[in-house]
Amino acid sequence: MNVITRAGLQAWLQDLADSRRLLAPQVVEDVVLFRPVDDIRTSAALDPNAPRPAMSIKEAFFPPTERLMLIEPQADPDTPGRRRVRLTETLPEAEQVIFGVRPCDARGMAVLDAAFLEAAPPDPYYARRREGTTLIGLACKEMGPSCFCRSVGGGPDDSRHVDVFLSETEEGYVVQVITERGRALLDGVPLSESDAERPSSALSDPIAVPDPLAWPAYFEDPFWGQMSERCLSCRICAYVCPTCRCFDVRDEPVESQAGSDRFERLRCWDSCSSAGYRRIAGGHNPRSSEGQRLRNRFFCKFYYYPLQYGPSACTGCGRCIDACPVNVDITEVLGHLVTG
Amino acid sequence: MSHTEAIRARARQLLEEKQVSCVIGYEVGPRGRTRPTFIYAPDQIDRLVWNSACTHNLTRYLPGRLKVGKPGEPPPRVAVVVKPCDSRAIHVLLAESQFGREQVHVIGVACEGIMDARSDGGQAELQARCRRCRERMPVLADDVIGEAPSLPAELDPDEDLARLEAMTAAERTEFWLAQFDRCIRCYACRQACPMCNCPICLFERDDSLWVGIGIRLNEKRAFHLGRAYHLAGRCIGCDECERVCPMHIPIGLLNRHLAAEVNRAFGFQAGVAPVLGPLVTVLRDGEVHP
Repeated sequence: MNVITRAGLQAWLQDLADSRRLLAPQVVEDVVLFRPVDDIRTSAALDPNAPRPAMSIKEAFFPPTERLMLIEPQADPDTPGRRRVRLTETLPEAEQVIFGVRPCDARGMAVLDAAFLEAAPPDPYYARRREGTTLIGLACKEMGPSCFCRSVGGGPDDSRHVDVFLSETEEGYVVQVITERGRALLDGVPLSESDAERPSSALSDPIAVPDPLAWPAYFEDPFWGQMSERCLSCRICAYVCPTCRCFDVRDEPVESQAGSDRFERLRCWDSCSSAGYRRIAGGHNPRSSEGQRLRNRFFCKFYYYPLQYGPSACTGCGRCIDACPVNVDITEVLGHLVTG
Repeated sequence: MSHTEAIRARARQLLEEKQVSCVIGYEVGPRGRTRPTFIYAPDQIDRLVWNSACTHNLTRYLPGRLKVGKPGEPPPRVAVVVKPCDSRAIHVLLAESQFGREQVHVIGVACEGIMDARSDGGQAELQARCRRCRERMPVLADDVIGEAPSLPAELDPDEDLARLEAMTAAERTEFWLAQFDRCIRCYACRQACPMCNCPICLFERDDSLWVGIGIRLNEKRAFHLGRAYHLAGRCIGCDECERVCPMHIPIGLLNRHLAAEVNRAFGFQAGVAPVLGPLVTVLRDGEVHP
């Protein structure tokens, strides 16, 4: 196995931070978030005890808000006095490296890829960022109390879906090159050969997860209504989720320019848990009750998505469990479907 | 009799006598976390608990349940378990005609303070808001569970508020923009708040009339400052907004700052009595609309 020392990793990451955009876990007030890093020593990237970042790496590919195009009126050269509308596509520039990617978040990228890239038409904004990004994964030494990645096809030492995968050992980090892009990123970085085996992560027992085909029978279950009574209909679960990918699109004036006639087409995060999400013209709302909305979130993860794209859309990261203010618990939902 | 037993006994009686259709209280979920629960029948009573993690302000659920009524039927009536801070929210909701006093049976609990949930397994300690609080008994209740516990010898001073008030306006702006920058506009603060009960939030209109859909600093500033103004003279300081914030934005501090201003200017504290707040809602003593 190839090993990089702690000092070697720090030097490598500092090189990356100096030469391009590097995102890594940072403590912002008391929240751990992926943020651009200038000085690797001030980040939480190399702190082995740093908790799971509050947000997944999703926002580096599918940001909370992005401009899709600029909309500007222009004089029509052919007809004096008339104006034309000029639409300018605004594709992102994104050469970036993300360090400290957890296996659950990396698998989240595979879930997003299926929806944004592999299903036609591919999303050019997402594609640009995805093509320009290199992922350095980091094994979790143990699973947290709310983690259940093993139950949904992942694991704390699952090295798929990243470009380079690191596992911490006593000597430093065992380095696995997963893709050619990862090999290129490591070009010239001093690694040493070692007999060290890749360390294994401490595993928690998996929970039972129902088969996708078991879900339709529970569509009318009163459980959803009961579960949703305490639901606040906020959007925390969707926004912290590595795979929730719903958005709203609206044309709005370009901000901070009073009297401006320039507009932008914005794409912003949205969530099926909010009351207005499913409202349609005329005011009808097919998912007007909290129970219908909560049901949709779980059906989407474990039935609609698998039906359309393949494996379940939940990566077992446990963020929604920990962030929910009223303890709506995705594993409790799965348990209900298993035990009936 | 423990508080849990007393709450269960009262809930049983209220449901058996059909005085209420539902008791809103606390239960412990399968993961051991305390959470809101809704009890409709005597055989569900044993789910009700009282413990030091009963942090949620359950009055948040009242307007949604009590404003809906069917013509020709008596208005809905529920019971709710409240702490002293939560009970003040009912005063504000009553003053704002969200429901009638007869529609809610208030089970008030004498409060020794609520513990911070610690995910790291560390020693739990009283929530910061409770270390500053001298209230031990609900301001309104149909039943009171427990005797008034003694006050601690000393309350924590509000050092964060003192620091904020010592700042210049420019420093405060900088401080708050740095905080709002983390906001993801998940609306959990609004959704957890008993006072945020507008049928359509002005920050979430389809026509972007007041603020757009962007999750950017400008929109986040408009949301947080706008919400704070709407709560000035109404916020009862339960700090649920701050507790639920996944980005740990000190929203409670913003509300305390405005509450302190309202107290200075009007000598008014929200929820102590069932009267409307003096700010933006009432004109008196010769005040006129500008």
